[in-house]
Amino acid sequence: MNAVFFGILTILSLFIFMNLGKIKASKKQMDRDDRINWGSKRRSNVQQNREGSKIIEGSAEEVDDSAQK
Amino acid sequence: MSKHSALNTFGRSGNPAFTRNFENAETFSQTERMTLDGAVNKTAILLALCFGGAFAGWNVPALMVPGAIIGFVLALVTIFRSPAKAGSTAPFYAAFQGMALGGITVFAEMQYPGIGIQAIGLTFGILASLLFCYKSGIIKPTENFRLMIFSATMGIALLYLVSFIMSFFGSGIGFIHSNGLFGIGFSVFVVGIAALNLVLDFDFIEDGADKGLPKYMEWYGAFSLMVTLVWLYLEILRLLMKLRSR
Repeated sequence: MNAVFFGILTILSLFIFMNLGKIKASKKQMDRDDRINWGSKRRSNVQQNREGSKIIEGSAEEVDDSAQK
Repeated sequence: MSKHSALNTFGRSGNPAFTRNFENAETFSQTERMTLDGAVNKTAILLALCFGGAFAGWNVPALMVPGAIIGFVLALVTIFRSPAKAGSTAPFYAAFQGMALGGITVFAEMQYPGIGIQAIGLTFGILASLLFCYKSGIIKPTENFRLMIFSATMGIALLYLVSFIMSFFGSGIGFIHSNGLFGIGFSVFVVGIAALNLVLDFDFIEDGADKGLPKYMEWYGAFSLMVTLVWLYLEILRLLMKLRSR
């Protein structure tokens, strides 16, 4: 009886995990301001790279060979 | 519009190798992203490997110690080396850890028959119920929640480490292994913390899929879920043994 009860509980739980796990969490869970920011380290690295990079903004111009002559 | 027709035809670089690579990069960014389906499927693969390892450990209990040591080393490699390698280390971790769990369960079963299936049932029962609580928004993990669980987990790890070191000198922290009320209360607390770590794993996977992290993070998410499940199973087994020994 013990094995049957816990065996069914195991199979049922795995079935729930396999199906429920693939469904997106509710809006109540996802649309919150106080969510954990898991990518904070990664994002700060990206920001650091952006700040450290030398990007010169400007518009591209075509060089006309005949004008130089 | 450029007066050079080659630029209009091939873009700024006419090199077909560059053009092909850019197309590939775009395809890569769209398809090689972490998804919930992928993470759940990879967790199922790791669970299957763990059950396979447990079957081996159950039949050959001598595999318990090497399985535990190799599994521990693989866990450290996966966590501290690179999450990108999780696809190659996590399956071996699951198999070796399964061997250790199979061996441990055999010894527990010898003392208390039927305890193994109880611990497995409760572990997966907690997994399913907490997944439902997380998905429905009943439990909302926040930064404070993460800080609290992380501190408690580190505290427990430190306590176990001190107890392990003290055991070499013939001493130990008695209450954490006792079957008295304090010992059982401690085990209940540890089971609770291990279970709440599952919520953090769910949130990590959900957040990763939402932000479209690289595909290999599916393996890392499945691995972190697996580590928590192994810990939860061991703590539930320990709690049940304490309760049965009274």
